Amino acid sequence: MAQGIQEDGETALVEILERCNALRLAPPPADDALPAGYSGTLGHFPVYFPEEIAHAAGLLPVHVLGGGNKLELKYADAHMGSFVCSICRSTAELGLNGTLQPLTGFVTHPICDAAKHLAGIWSRNLPEQLAQILYLPQNVNTPGAVRFIAAEYQRLRGELERKTGRPIADESLRASLRIYNRNRRLLRELYAIRRDEPWKLSCTESYLLLRARTRIPCEQHNEMLEAALPAIRARRRAAQDKPRVVFVGGFCEQPPLEMLETIDDTCYVVDDDLLIGMRWFTADVPETGEPMWALAESFVERSAASPVQHDERKTKEGYLMEMLRTSGADAAIVTAAKFCEPGLDEQVAWSKHLDHEGVQYLILEFEEKMTSFEQMAMQLETFAESLLFSIA
Amino acid sequence: MRYFGGVDVGSTQTKAIIIDENRAVVGRALQDMETSMKTVAQDAFDAALADAGIRADQVVRVAGTGYGRYNVSFGDEQVTEISCHARGAIALFPGTATVIDIGGQDTKAISVKPDGQVADFTMNDKCAAGTGRFLGAASYALEMPLSALGPLALKSQNPVRITTTCTVFAESEIISHLAKGILPEDVLMGVHQAITSRCVSLARRVGIHSEVTFTGGVSRNVAMVRLIEDAVGTKVNVSPDAHYCGALGAALFAHEHALANETRTAVPA
Amino acid sequence: MTIDTVQTPATAAPAEFDARVEGQRLMKEWYGGLELAGERGQPVANVFVMGNAIEILRCFDFQLVFPEINSLQTGVRKVSEEYLRLSEDYGMSPDVCSYVKADVGLILKEQKHPAGLIPKADIAIASNMCSTFIKWAEIWERMLKTPTFVLDLPGQRAANWEVRPGDAQHAADARWVEAQFRDLIERCERITGRRFRMERLAEVQSEVNRMVGHWNNVMALNRNCPAPYNAMLDGLTYIGIMNVYRGTAEGADFMARLEEQLRAQVARGEGKVAGEKFRLLFSGTPCYVSMRRLVELFESWGGVFAYSDYLTFAAGGMDAGDLVYDTSRPLESLAEVTALAAQRGLSNQFFAHERLAQNVRDYDVDGIVFHGIKSCRFVSSGMADTRDYLNKRLKIPSLYIESDLIDPRYWSDAQIKNRVDAFFESLNQRGGPAPHAGRAAAVPLASEASIGGEA
Repeated sequence: MAQGIQEDGETALVEILERCNALRLAPPPADDALPAGYSGTLGHFPVYFPEEIAHAAGLLPVHVLGGGNKLELKYADAHMGSFVCSICRSTAELGLNGTLQPLTGFVTHPICDAAKHLAGIWSRNLPEQLAQILYLPQNVNTPGAVRFIAAEYQRLRGELERKTGRPIADESLRASLRIYNRNRRLLRELYAIRRDEPWKLSCTESYLLLRARTRIPCEQHNEMLEAALPAIRARRRAAQDKPRVVFVGGFCEQPPLEMLETIDDTCYVVDDDLLIGMRWFTADVPETGEPMWALAESFVERSAASPVQHDERKTKEGYLMEMLRTSGADAAIVTAAKFCEPGLDEQVAWSKHLDHEGVQYLILEFEEKMTSFEQMAMQLETFAESLLFSIA
Repeated sequence: MRYFGGVDVGSTQTKAIIIDENRAVVGRALQDMETSMKTVAQDAFDAALADAGIRADQVVRVAGTGYGRYNVSFGDEQVTEISCHARGAIALFPGTATVIDIGGQDTKAISVKPDGQVADFTMNDKCAAGTGRFLGAASYALEMPLSALGPLALKSQNPVRITTTCTVFAESEIISHLAKGILPEDVLMGVHQAITSRCVSLARRVGIHSEVTFTGGVSRNVAMVRLIEDAVGTKVNVSPDAHYCGALGAALFAHEHALANETRTAVPA
Repeated sequence: MTIDTVQTPATAAPAEFDARVEGQRLMKEWYGGLELAGERGQPVANVFVMGNAIEILRCFDFQLVFPEINSLQTGVRKVSEEYLRLSEDYGMSPDVCSYVKADVGLILKEQKHPAGLIPKADIAIASNMCSTFIKWAEIWERMLKTPTFVLDLPGQRAANWEVRPGDAQHAADARWVEAQFRDLIERCERITGRRFRMERLAEVQSEVNRMVGHWNNVMALNRNCPAPYNAMLDGLTYIGIMNVYRGTAEGADFMARLEEQLRAQVARGEGKVAGEKFRLLFSGTPCYVSMRRLVELFESWGGVFAYSDYLTFAAGGMDAGDLVYDTSRPLESLAEVTALAAQRGLSNQFFAHERLAQNVRDYDVDGIVFHGIKSCRFVSSGMADTRDYLNKRLKIPSLYIESDLIDPRYWSDAQIKNRVDAFFESLNQRGGPAPHAGRAAAVPLASEASIGGEA
């Protein structure tokens, strides 16, 4: 009887994962295909975006993550330089080829110079869309940062109110905060399973589940996770002899799914920074009081880390070692996207530090548009073998 | 009758064209690269003279073009091959608005005005992936002559996607596909599609407007012509004289500038 | 310097002033000063050209190191390849900013630079105006244990961004900038053991006002035909002084004399390029390792650069107008002006079409040269699109060439010459040079030339 339930759970889980994969490859919903209660879509680029503000405005937050490895670039070359990361080029392509035409607006952040240029490209080619840079500060350590961020959020709120023609009430924002807080809790549970019972949930599966939120309302994502989590926990699988690793470098340009699958074949990825912006807060956002202030304060006081967010309290070595420690990982896969300036700089700092600490790691460079992984598989197998020999 | 010459000194071949004062082509020559750019230019020019049946002193003005244009020591001026290709293309096809030139080493796209002036241009001269060099790599990997590649590619029913962006690694990708049993025509069509995609992408930088004239050595590849037509959405002009487009343009410039200057007249022997 | 000296009419014979020679002398003096900083017990600060707090640092007598200038100098002196290779051997990717790599090479060579020994910094100020600055400073934190302060400047948020001094948005931005300046002042006091004095800040700001006033006139003087200087080449010397001598009397004096010199040139109808045929805009940064060659390629066709956009973004963005310090409220005004400059002169590079369209009109240009830099995404990522946009909107001829800041492996002479020649061939075919009538500059007369006067 228990096995029957478990099999049903597994079937349901497979269906959920298939749906997640379809969502991953889907364009943003058109105006006539919006979920009930939403009047438009707001596109946003990596890393972190306060989705609650769009959500409260009745705009479905659509995280734009480039074109993956099936998109042919027809227009991007004429508009964006060649020594630019693939995610920026393919995002420009999606704007120019009409895929992102339904968006009400597109918000980018000062994570790097290529990303800042997207706003300019948007303004010149899609003038009817609201194209903005949300200037999240690279200094969060000076007193006054929270106030500035709150002001910047209020500015965005004003723009969205003007664009939609409807005010965004504080109470709507608090309601959105509650929904996203629930999501944060569920995602923490998801990652706890990755850390404690990685044989039950692969990195690829967890990634698919997380990424689904980029195309559906958060409340639906919560239901999806609430259905998936028990089924995952009920899985009966034997732990395999695979090394425990963390994966870093996935904070912006996304590795192809096949790459994650290749890694899953040889390792247990017990923690990662994939789509870290969607899991930016490490604890719940206060649900009482001034909601914009709560969001701004959470950005400064209870957030994760990435190579494109400078913070004196969170050195890159510090958070990588902390990640290794809390997840009980033995080694790190240190990746960077091709032409990603911050990612490539970070790789050097990380690898020097790991050398110093005597932690084994594998350096990989990837592109979202990669389609062949034999070389990478060979490197990973070799890496896994050497880890297993050294742990043994 | 006065004559005017154009010599296009490229990295693999040198082309020479002689025209008369009515702008009609009376002689042409094609010379493979020799060790000296200076001698190859002279040799090509001499061969063109022989082809026209005229003497050097009957040629009023010569323009040199191509990367080796400064080695045309007997030339009266040097003009870039961009300007010459534009001028040559308009002469061959007066309705030309966009030129796509795919050579062995580089690719250019030129936006041309009705009078042959260059409105805008863009070039890929750093990376071999969108050039004839890629076909060269395929020819080597498949052990087939270049001329056979196009017709074979057209037989493809299920082209594979070639994803390596670097010609050097593409060879191993081609070989690995063949080893897996993929048909040569399907691999070849993949190569052709990859080149087309890069070239058309380049051309979009200057805007693709009808009529499109396709020049350069690769324009003699029937599969490439077909694919370029599909990609740009119109019929594309090709000419058996496509190889000579630059030299023809240079000869036309020589003619134009000679008329403008009226500085030299043919001296009878 | 008194006001009277500033207002010397152009017709009086100016003292012999060779900006290039004087500029080189001043830069040499500065590098010499850096070498002696240690033994003089002077604190040292690393700063970048886009977004720094030089006015505050001057109050503590910091010697200023400009790592960007150090890196470009390795290119100018033709030794960059060695520095780059060292950094790549160390582990830096070939694809990252070549300035950063040359600096890592410098660190690996124990600060030995062709211009002298570069002192290690007691503090580094990195701004967010170029995202690479922050990664660069993080490298110093690790390799040299340099304390770092990130100055976050709220930039231009969108196209058609209008911010007026005093409006709510500007006030919110300035407030944040001021909070950071206060934080920085505290840190500088701790590091140097010296007290900050508001009066000193006001003094420094007066000098900046004077310098910027003349600088604005210098930039405007190139609207004349023929242009008295080549923005791409001579401009390099000028912005060196704008950065290194910002807030000093020497810097302001240099700009005053330069303005005087250029006015006299204009009065004589003397252009930088004899036989100026084509007036051009340069967008991007030069290839420092092939500077002479790059200039020659254009000047040989009679082309002169009337304006170059790094004269804006690499000189503090101080030519945007309204950027005058109110020395009666030094710190507040510093924050206000810094926020404005960040939006109108630095981060507006991401919306470059707006400024370039205006420059095309102001400088009466025949074409724009876009120079893409392989390793600099700040300059290059949006360049193709900006070019495309301006081609369509203004129908202005343009040329796109690509190389790198200082990596000689990316300079391909034949390819670049080919493109430059084709560009001028088409400009000539369009009917040759534009008819000029010796247009007067849109600048006030000498007697009206006052501090901070808008051109």
